[in-house]
Amino acid sequence: MSEKTAERPGSLVETHKGYDPRLLAFYPIVAVLLLTLVGGMIYQQFIKSDVYHEREKVQNQRRILVPGPRGNIYDRDGKLLVGNRARFAVTLYLDELRKDFRREYLRVRKNYRDLGDKDMPNATQMELIARYSVVQRYLDQVNHALGRTEKVDAKALNRHFNQNLLLPYILLDDLTPEEYAKLVEQLPVQSPLQVYATSTRFYPFKSAAAHTLGYVTGNEDFTVAEDFPGAELTTFKMKGTEGASGIERSFESTLQGEAGGSIYLVDPHGFRIEPPLSKRLPIQGKDVVTSLDIDLQQVAEAAMTDTEMNSATVMMDVNTGEVLILASKPDYDLNDTTPRLRPETARWIEEHGAWLNRATQGIYPPGSSFKILVSVAGMHHGLLNGDSTVDCPGGYVVGNRRFPCHDWHAHGLIDLPVAIEKSCNVFFYAHGLEIGPDFIAEEARRFGFGKRTGLEIHETGATLVPDPAWKKRARQEEWHPGDTANYAIGQGFLLVTPMQMASFMASFARRETLTHPSVLHDPNRPRQKGDPIGISVQDYAAIVEGMEQCIHTGTARTFSQKPLNGVPGLRVAAKTGTAQKKTEKGTINFAWLICFAPVENPKVAMAIMIEGDTPGEETGGGRYCVPIAHAVLKKWWEKQNASTAPAQASPPPAKITLGSPTSGAPLASNP
Amino acid sequence: MFPKRIDQARPFLVLGIAFVVWLFVPTLVKRFTRATFFEFQAPVEASASVLRDIQDYWALRTRSNNELIEAGKELANLNAQYETRLREYASLQSRVNRLEELLRLPSYPEYRTEVARVVRRDFNAWWQRLVIRKGANYEISVGDPVIFVGGVVGRVMEVGAYTSVVELVSSPGVRIAATLEGDTRPISFQGGVNPAFGPATGVVEFVPLDVFANPAAPKRLVTSGLGGVFPPGLNLGQIVKLEKGGDGLFQTGEVALDPRLLSVSEVAVLVPLRAK
Repeated sequence: MSEKTAERPGSLVETHKGYDPRLLAFYPIVAVLLLTLVGGMIYQQFIKSDVYHEREKVQNQRRILVPGPRGNIYDRDGKLLVGNRARFAVTLYLDELRKDFRREYLRVRKNYRDLGDKDMPNATQMELIARYSVVQRYLDQVNHALGRTEKVDAKALNRHFNQNLLLPYILLDDLTPEEYAKLVEQLPVQSPLQVYATSTRFYPFKSAAAHTLGYVTGNEDFTVAEDFPGAELTTFKMKGTEGASGIERSFESTLQGEAGGSIYLVDPHGFRIEPPLSKRLPIQGKDVVTSLDIDLQQVAEAAMTDTEMNSATVMMDVNTGEVLILASKPDYDLNDTTPRLRPETARWIEEHGAWLNRATQGIYPPGSSFKILVSVAGMHHGLLNGDSTVDCPGGYVVGNRRFPCHDWHAHGLIDLPVAIEKSCNVFFYAHGLEIGPDFIAEEARRFGFGKRTGLEIHETGATLVPDPAWKKRARQEEWHPGDTANYAIGQGFLLVTPMQMASFMASFARRETLTHPSVLHDPNRPRQKGDPIGISVQDYAAIVEGMEQCIHTGTARTFSQKPLNGVPGLRVAAKTGTAQKKTEKGTINFAWLICFAPVENPKVAMAIMIEGDTPGEETGGGRYCVPIAHAVLKKWWEKQNASTAPAQASPPPAKITLGSPTSGAPLASNP
Repeated sequence: MFPKRIDQARPFLVLGIAFVVWLFVPTLVKRFTRATFFEFQAPVEASASVLRDIQDYWALRTRSNNELIEAGKELANLNAQYETRLREYASLQSRVNRLEELLRLPSYPEYRTEVARVVRRDFNAWWQRLVIRKGANYEISVGDPVIFVGGVVGRVMEVGAYTSVVELVSSPGVRIAATLEGDTRPISFQGGVNPAFGPATGVVEFVPLDVFANPAAPKRLVTSGLGGVFPPGLNLGQIVKLEKGGDGLFQTGEVALDPRLLSVSEVAVLVPLRAK
């Protein structure tokens, strides 16, 4: 116990005895408390320091990601089909305006107070007003330079401020080069206003190959490289793009660039502190070289547009399977989809049925163009040959029903080449019934019908190769001879795409069964190698003879007549078709034409389909498809001749010479 | 006399007054000094410049008569050449005017040139400026373009009564809408960060990808005329280096500016002919 040793009144000095055993009890308590404190400090400073460091980093740092520009898309000759265009915008860095916002806030508050306004807004509302006023002032600077009268979108500004403060706020978008130049020269260099360039898709050929090339949509969920630092940080992403259809979608991983970005330190209000702690530049995606030939594509599309009907055209290289033309009408200008697809544009496309790529997603009965396959089926199974004949009276009775020939026209006694040339239905009714639906279906499947061709862009899986078993399974109905008669002329349940028909034509031209088409160009691509067609050269020659005559005296004779007058020096083998489909409005026709050329050394194969738009109207392949085929082949032939030696004359017409009966080798020309 | 209690508060009153003076006077003095310093300083600089000119004159007078006669002849020859050029330009200008009228082309804003002597150079790492011997007395105003025989000098950034400050094109604070000679696509040119007396350079941004340039084959950069400040076709420099930017859309590059910028002694201010 302490004992006072001096107690003089008025003295400020107290003295205590130096040792008091009762105090000993407090020593361990103090020691424990001190140890706890030291231990706590050690725990917090040494053991948990990493955790706090990480937490501090997450709290004080922000990551801004910028998508990499997409790669370009070229045609087979290196012409740019899809590129990136600079889109100039004038932006405002809001995080550089914090002092302006504060000053304006104080001014707004003072004004309200001076006016004694009873309805004075609350602090948050005044902050919004101040922000709007400041941003509008900057926009007025831009307006003055450009002679515009733009106003700030208050809602968008508020949303941007709350959600993307670190990203530049776009005041004006899509500036013309002249406007951009004015701002570059007239805005002060040290200003929160900056001219900013982003990349947007650019389609120099507008609507050409729109469905094949595809379009892109906005995407904020682009991925970044795994080694990109700051995955744990709050991240802001600039808007990127992703392929929504066509090549843009199929080759998304190739075309998509590598994202770049920066990590910034931010103050307690979330405003950025320059310069960034780390930065990585975005990298452009890889280019894609397509097999398309934009010159041919444009010619095809122009001719298709002239028909004023929905249509599709596919042309491919017979030997490599590379697709030279992949066109579908109606289409849309791809530039209208960028930087974003406007609702009115989407509505127009929807109303006109222009989303559908009719070449790969449209399913149609092939009509008489299928007679080539039926001929091959008969020959392959030994039920038909080049000398087979039928006496055509203009119709054919199957069961109780009389099936008509073309317009009930009697062809008389005709053989296979003439049947193909004139597209005689009776010939194929008779022989189709002999061949039977199973053999026809088997042959169709051998040529790849009924399944996707393997093209890199989206194809429908809804094509159909019917047979009695399918009808029983799917419709619980028996297969009738009338079904076979229809089948033999490409009608009935059979459904194909123009892409499949072009692949079939390419395979047939090579005397093989399968062609794997591709929209990619590879100068070293090996020749397609399918199974041999399995018919004799004589039989094959008979079919080709009929197809070649088709453009001279047959159903596609307009090809050689005025005003088209054929393509001098080019021998073409073709087959037309007209299929019917019953709709609620009436019977609609589908016009077809399949062909390959040159006959003596096939290089290109083509399929053209046109949807009739008026019920009951005769929409024949000979009338509507031939001008398209003629325009495209003429252009192709011109390009062929231009690419070879100028002195080389076009080859004279040659007759097919016969090679080994079962050989799959191309037919040799006879000079 | 104040009561005792109030009297005791006098130090606080003095402190308050001192605080108010400390708070406001420096600002007022600073503002006044800033406003007047330039005008006070300008005559000194202008006088120094005039003195330098007189020195040069007398230095020339020390030359022999023969040398002076020779130099006079050369000068007369040069003047004659300029006279001929002026007539050619006048003839071409009248043709241009006629064609513009025929084709109904918009004419560019017209300028009046004010030739001015350089009185001081202010070069450092942050900015590169010139003070010239003409100011508001010749209707020069802030933002007016300034040129010399080698092309663009810069822009007027400050105007006094008798002098003006020109920010050189080599200064990072100057940005111009440029284009390549023979091209129309606008390119952003900005002065670079240059050493005080090193070679002047600038940077270009938004250069299209199909443009190629290197020191062996440089590309001439001129004003585009699209920006609304500089008339088109004025020389800016040569693009000597280009690199593809990360956006894959454009290139950025380096521009070598005219080395005479460092020693320019006379410039012409393009004063727009404003509607009265």
